[in-house]
Amino acid sequence: MAVETLERPPAETTEAPVYEDDARIVRYKIRTGMFAWMAHRLSGIAIVIYLILHVWGLKALTDRDAFNALIAGYHAPIFKIGEFLLLAAVAYHAFNGLRIVLIDFLGWSPKQKRLFWTLAAVTAAIIVIGGYPSIYAVVTYFTGG
Amino acid sequence: MKLNVKVRRYDPESGKPPYWATYEVPAEPMDSALSLLLHIKWHLDGTLTFRKSCAHGICGSDAMQINGENKLACSVLVQDLVKGDGDTISFAPLPGSPVIKDLVIDQTRFFEKYRAVMPWLINDTPPPERERLQSPEEHAIIEDATKCIMCGACTHSCPSTWADPDYLGPAAMLKAYRYTFDSRDAGSAQRLPIVDSKDGLWKCYTIFNCVQACPKEIDITRWLSALKRKAVTAQY
Repeated sequence: MAVETLERPPAETTEAPVYEDDARIVRYKIRTGMFAWMAHRLSGIAIVIYLILHVWGLKALTDRDAFNALIAGYHAPIFKIGEFLLLAAVAYHAFNGLRIVLIDFLGWSPKQKRLFWTLAAVTAAIIVIGGYPSIYAVVTYFTGG
Repeated sequence: MKLNVKVRRYDPESGKPPYWATYEVPAEPMDSALSLLLHIKWHLDGTLTFRKSCAHGICGSDAMQINGENKLACSVLVQDLVKGDGDTISFAPLPGSPVIKDLVIDQTRFFEKYRAVMPWLINDTPPPERERLQSPEEHAIIEDATKCIMCGACTHSCPSTWADPDYLGPAAMLKAYRYTFDSRDAGSAQRLPIVDSKDGLWKCYTIFNCVQACPKEIDITRWLSALKRKAVTAQY
């Protein structure tokens, strides 16, 4: 044999430390799929926070005067803006949920981008049409109509 | 044209955290992104470390994060990354795995997950005289999934993997699909419980980063959805 490999000394190894980033959130280019997922998560959390406030408000049902005072308070512009944001969150969450159902149950994955933009247009239309009364109320409040 | 090439570097012997180094590299629009790294290594700084082998999108060695997105460096052209002279291209190691040096990641976890789904044909029936035949129609079901080159671009692009290092990830579960839906395979009863687990299919939130990252343009989410449907309907 030309080379006596067995007589060679073994290569020396050093255990250099690896670098591990503990961050569980990574900066990454946001495309439709990741945007849809992030917005779904955030709108979901927003709806849960709303539900807590909503159920908390319902405890006033035991007293007629307290309930009427509460409902009167809900006519303030801040709650009209909240009403609009609630519609936006629920409409988005519902339609993106439908998108996920179509992808997972019917295998519409190849059409996911078109599906996203189509449902985004429907969602936007619903938010504009359904949210018009709340926005109108806010505008008239500030313009003194 | 001249490009500013930013590379995320890490020297394990220095003990210092990773940092960005910038190099000025001459390039042609039709050059691959890999050729920029090779230029740095050959002419500017020989200590730059990255994996590459075939340089033609077959071996799957040079998956990395290019301009904030996981890509195969040899399979993406400079003209698809920049507009013109003086633009910047950034190279970073795949996110979500420990970094050994510069752009080289520790793939131990990635291949552990791969082995976990039993990526081989399971069939105890005695083999026929020549081979186990598969019709073109039966092959069409798994053909897209067989194109995987195990580069890891998908698994390391998945927010579920970043958040849970134990999540099997798209690459491993695509292999599970590829064998579970193989007409010659009889291992569903063994393989499905592995993917139908808390670190499996149900952490796929159809984010589509994996599909976007795949250099072979495999519709991974589509096949994972098929595997999800199989997992909920199968009796095992």
